[in-house]
Amino acid sequence: MWLPNWPILRLHRSGAASADLPAATVASERGQRRLTAVCPLAAGHGLRVGQALAEARALCPALDTHEATPDEDAAALSRLAEWATRFTPLAAANPPEGLWLDIFGCAHLHGGEEKLCAAIADRLHEAGWPARLAVADASGAAWALARYAAASRADGVAGGDARIRVLPPGGERTALATLPVGLLRLDDRSVAALRRVGLKTIGNLARLPRGEISARFGPLPLLRLDQAFGAADEAIAWPLPARPWLEARRFAEPIATPDDLARALSLLATGLSARLEAEGRGARRFVARFHRVDGVEPMIAIATARPVRDAAYVLKLLLGKLETVDPGFGVEAMALEAAALEPLAPAQATLDRQPDHATGLAATLDALIGRLGEANIWRPAPHGSHVPERATVPAAPLAVVPWPREDTARPLRLLNPPEPIEATAPVPDDPPILFRWRGALHRVRNAAGPERIAAEWWRRTPDPTRPAHDFIRDYYRVEDTKGGRFWVFRVGLTGAPRWFLHGVFG
Amino acid sequence: MPPSYPSPPSITHRPALDRLRREMGAGGARHGVLAMDKAGVDACLPGGGLPLGALHEVEPGHEVEPGGPGSVTGNGAGAQAQQGAVAAGFIARLLGRLPDPRPCLWVAVRCDLYPPGLLAFGLDPARLVLARARDDAAVLAAMEAGLRGGGFAAVVGEAGRLGRLAARRLQLACLRHASTGFVLRRWPYGTPAHLPAEAPAAVTRWRIAPAASGGPWAPPRWRLELLHARGGTPGEWIVEAGESDASGIVRVVAELADPAPASQRRRLG
Repeated sequence: MWLPNWPILRLHRSGAASADLPAATVASERGQRRLTAVCPLAAGHGLRVGQALAEARALCPALDTHEATPDEDAAALSRLAEWATRFTPLAAANPPEGLWLDIFGCAHLHGGEEKLCAAIADRLHEAGWPARLAVADASGAAWALARYAAASRADGVAGGDARIRVLPPGGERTALATLPVGLLRLDDRSVAALRRVGLKTIGNLARLPRGEISARFGPLPLLRLDQAFGAADEAIAWPLPARPWLEARRFAEPIATPDDLARALSLLATGLSARLEAEGRGARRFVARFHRVDGVEPMIAIATARPVRDAAYVLKLLLGKLETVDPGFGVEAMALEAAALEPLAPAQATLDRQPDHATGLAATLDALIGRLGEANIWRPAPHGSHVPERATVPAAPLAVVPWPREDTARPLRLLNPPEPIEATAPVPDDPPILFRWRGALHRVRNAAGPERIAAEWWRRTPDPTRPAHDFIRDYYRVEDTKGGRFWVFRVGLTGAPRWFLHGVFG
Repeated sequence: MPPSYPSPPSITHRPALDRLRREMGAGGARHGVLAMDKAGVDACLPGGGLPLGALHEVEPGHEVEPGGPGSVTGNGAGAQAQQGAVAAGFIARLLGRLPDPRPCLWVAVRCDLYPPGLLAFGLDPARLVLARARDDAAVLAAMEAGLRGGGFAAVVGEAGRLGRLAARRLQLACLRHASTGFVLRRWPYGTPAHLPAEAPAAVTRWRIAPAASGGPWAPPRWRLELLHARGGTPGEWIVEAGESDASGIVRVVAELADPAPASQRRRLG
């Protein structure tokens, strides 16, 4: 697969270069600024790759130049190869401007090689990448055909789709015979040497005796010729699929004693810890699974407040829960998986072995998380809302969120939901003079308020059956004759107001 | 050959013995004390303040109607036993004055503590880690894990039942890891019909109930009872916990010198 002018396409795509202006990328080569890629507009002005920048500027003063970024281009190509794995599991980047796709055994899933290629080309075209694809038995032939613009027009094999060329099996020799030798992936010096002696097409070169080719032009043309005709294999570096963060171990004999299980867990934790350390990562969740001989799979899961990777520490937390695992008739395989991965820099051990507060806190929190569950430990964080129920949100137990200093009186205990009370108020706008809550009568001695809190209109769904004043609360702080302090509110301004108790002050 | 006996303690161990005696006299206050009001309340406490690195028990008392029958004080009844708001305020005030900068843990079965309300008691909610446990036993176990981890300056647990064994374990964990523990006796779903009498295992034991305040929305007043203090004497006060009180944790408004009912109540509790 060929993506012509990949660096320029990326510039257009990222918006760094306008498609209406001639654009080119430049790089310093032996102390001289030279063009490394030119867009079709610039090519129309007579610019070509390898030209000196000064010369290019003379030819086309409006040239829009950008610094070449070959590494980023190659990385983007790798990402595209990852995307292409939805069509075939074997997809590799072929810098600077192409991809290798091994579609052996995949084409029938899409209804044939042409349809597969058309699907890929269509998807890429939609995304803004014009691509050209060729299918051949040999890697070299596919490379050459994808890049040879005139080929598909000449014979029209693929039913007129100029982007795709599918070569029937064994058709390499005839298809490549008329193509220029430059399409053999040779270096410039070899191409120049071949052209000097009049070998302009691949067919010309193939007719020569093999010994003569290698003697006169070196080993490269012969290797490329063999790769184009399928006589020599080409080693393509297919990217490996990402390895999951899983360590597994099978046992020759099922194990059942707690000591054996603990030892196996220790081996798994050590292996996983070494892998995490090599990648500079830590995990916040670990799950150990025990595959029993009778098919039951008990598991234990731990979570930590901070990313960890220390094998001994993970093991300590896992062993704390090992007693919950019933080995039954024996465990024949075990797996330890890490999840919620985060970057974790290698820790510098303190010199004087003094446990610092943050580490001690994290270890304490991990023990509590193991005991109570991850969702049951939190640190209160403020939330920008006047509605009392929404004024605080749970945050991670290690996150320190500063609280604003406000002097609005808020209760110490908040009832959720507010409990209805029977209250008596002389005037609808006044605080109550007595109220009954949970069967006990409270006579109000002091009262302060009201503090009006309305529902947030941007969060409220309009409900025509409820009047607007249903969403307004008038809060009063009241103190009864015994000294108990309560936070009550009234809903409904007219008619029959309803009273609720929302909180208790300390 | 005569058997060799360990030699008697030499006279050079006197400083160590003195220190031990001092600590015993201070009710085991090995990690310092927290002054309550530098007067009446502190006079009843060993070492002149609330011992740190120790376990304390706070139970909500029944509110008393002024002028009504004053002897109706029982172990947690009514709304106070369910809410424990005043007791939570007292503990929040203590936590806010701890010299230790580490965070505090608050474990409960029913987590209705409202963090914005803590600011009025001088406790920054950012210092607090909240935890929810399944039942009383889980609360006490989580408290012990929090104390033993050594990451918290203080650990608060809201639990109804506190057995002697659990209290003893918590007290040892407090002592060893220099954290202060508070058990707030609270029955969020109503007081059980029969409560067994428990011998005190905590270093101090308080009962606190709201009291009528001095005026329209003056600082809250509490009826504070020191039921038991190891190495100290019981007492009962009406105290005020004002926001602007920079001198101490509470300010004694009235001393309720009524030793007979106090001792009676201690037997009841």
